[in-house]
Amino acid sequence: MENAPKLTARQLNFYYGKFKALEEISITINRNQVTALIGPSGCGKSTFLRCLNRMNDLIPGTRVEGDIRLDGEDIYDSNIDVVSLRRRVGMVFQKPNPFPKTIFENVAYGLRVNGIKDKKILKDRVEKALKQSALWDEVKNRINESALGLSGGQQQRLCIARALAVEPDVLLMDEPASALDPIATQKIEDLIHELKNNFTIIIVTHSMQQAARVSDITAFFYMGKLIETGDTETLFTRPALKQTEDYITGRFG
Amino acid sequence: MERHFIKTLDDLKMTLLNMAALTQRAIEKATQAYLNRDEGLAQAVIEGDREVNNLELKVDQIALKLLALEQPMARDLRFILGTTKISNELERIADQAVNIAERTLFLCQHPPLDHIPAMDRLIEVVKSMLDTAITSFVEENTQKAIKLRQMDDIADKYTLEVLQVLIANMVQSTPATEKRIVNARRSVQTIIISRCLERAGDLATNIGEHVAFIVEAINIKHQKVDFDQS
Ligand SMILES: Nc1ncnc2c1ncn2[C@@H]1O[C@H](COP(=O)(O)OP(=O)(O)OP(=O)(O)O)[C@@H](O)[C@H]1O
Ligand SMILES: [Mg+2]
Repeated sequence: MENAPKLTARQLNFYYGKFKALEEISITINRNQVTALIGPSGCGKSTFLRCLNRMNDLIPGTRVEGDIRLDGEDIYDSNIDVVSLRRRVGMVFQKPNPFPKTIFENVAYGLRVNGIKDKKILKDRVEKALKQSALWDEVKNRINESALGLSGGQQQRLCIARALAVEPDVLLMDEPASALDPIATQKIEDLIHELKNNFTIIIVTHSMQQAARVSDITAFFYMGKLIETGDTETLFTRPALKQTEDYITGRFG
Repeated sequence: MERHFIKTLDDLKMTLLNMAALTQRAIEKATQAYLNRDEGLAQAVIEGDREVNNLELKVDQIALKLLALEQPMARDLRFILGTTKISNELERIADQAVNIAERTLFLCQHPPLDHIPAMDRLIEVVKSMLDTAITSFVEENTQKAIKLRQMDDIADKYTLEVLQVLIANMVQSTPATEKRIVNARRSVQTIIISRCLERAGDLATNIGEHVAFIVEAINIKHQKVDFDQS
């Protein structure tokens, strides 16, 4: 089990209506590793990410073919409870999206949705999540103040804490640092390094340097296809395919 | 519009080629000076070295700028690292040319030694190695890079031959003490020249290794290659 892949996609196709946004994607994602998805705008990175916790189900007219397995279990199986799937596979978005509530309530949100009412448990889990997201020291004295008073970088770590509070296995991050300044970005990147000890992380990023800095594995997408996957160091120093080379050296199109 | 990055990469390449041309000319002139006992030419080699050193600095400067400002990836990254290594080898080859020129100035003060055919061959092999190294870079040709190691074995062989000829010469030379000392001095200086050439050949071989790294991302540096001896 320890060495079994955390997530696998096999011959995954995805359609928005008639438009095929993903074509024959097969990839294995190992546990406790960071996998970066890179590729030009519109190549399907976010779409793929959303397939992994069935967020695309929320978009009408979409359709999935092929299979995705989490710990060997088909997540599109009719027996799967989508709410518990999304608890296991958490998501952090490009723009921090705190609710107009207190810092505490933002982090406790997912726990309450999952039916946890016990004050002590809530308090412990919120504290743990804020520590994991490296925000605790900055907010412990203002935990009952509005989350909207936090800086952009703090808000993003708050959203990470919110995702972590429900104790997911997998964390999906869609350009989590693209709206942040370099210092806040570095904090998020350091955090990712920390978090991979306990979580499996998949991150979409437009910054090749960021992918190179934070990930173990990098997957290059182009026009709905997965072109090349490899360990990050190899992919950025000697990619196997010319298409990958052209993209990462900025000689595309 | 051409990307600024690509232009700067071209600039780096041109600077390196410029340096390669000067280095090649330095070796050509130094060996010419030695063979023809031409003091003026030897002097020119010594004076010309500064230009090679300046170009090495320029290569480093451009490479550093590219690394710092452009965060190059993949082949670009290997190219930039490779050029700095190649420029370092070229600079050291040019130093060998200077060393040869200095020995030549000494030798010109004394009557010539007997002609050493192995030295002619050594000079030819090393010049051709330098040429092969530079072409392998220009053509991005790994085959040529690998061939250099074969040529290097030949250069080593001729170097040894020169040494043997000159040792024999020192041992057999005339008994008159004064003449004997002069003869030993000339021989030692000539041996040093052969060593410089051999060293230049080694450095040219290194250039081939850097080219293989740039082109194919492989490291042929410490791996044994079986050459067919044809
Ligand atoms: N809700 C939608 N309805 C229809 N088409 C969509 C929808 N979302 C995305 N697409 C299309 O699917 C393709 C992949 O989009 P996706 O957002 O996954 O790309 P991306 O790689 O994340 O791009 P970016 O880097 O710009 O975020 C695009 O052609 C896009 O136009
Ligand atoms: Mg996207």
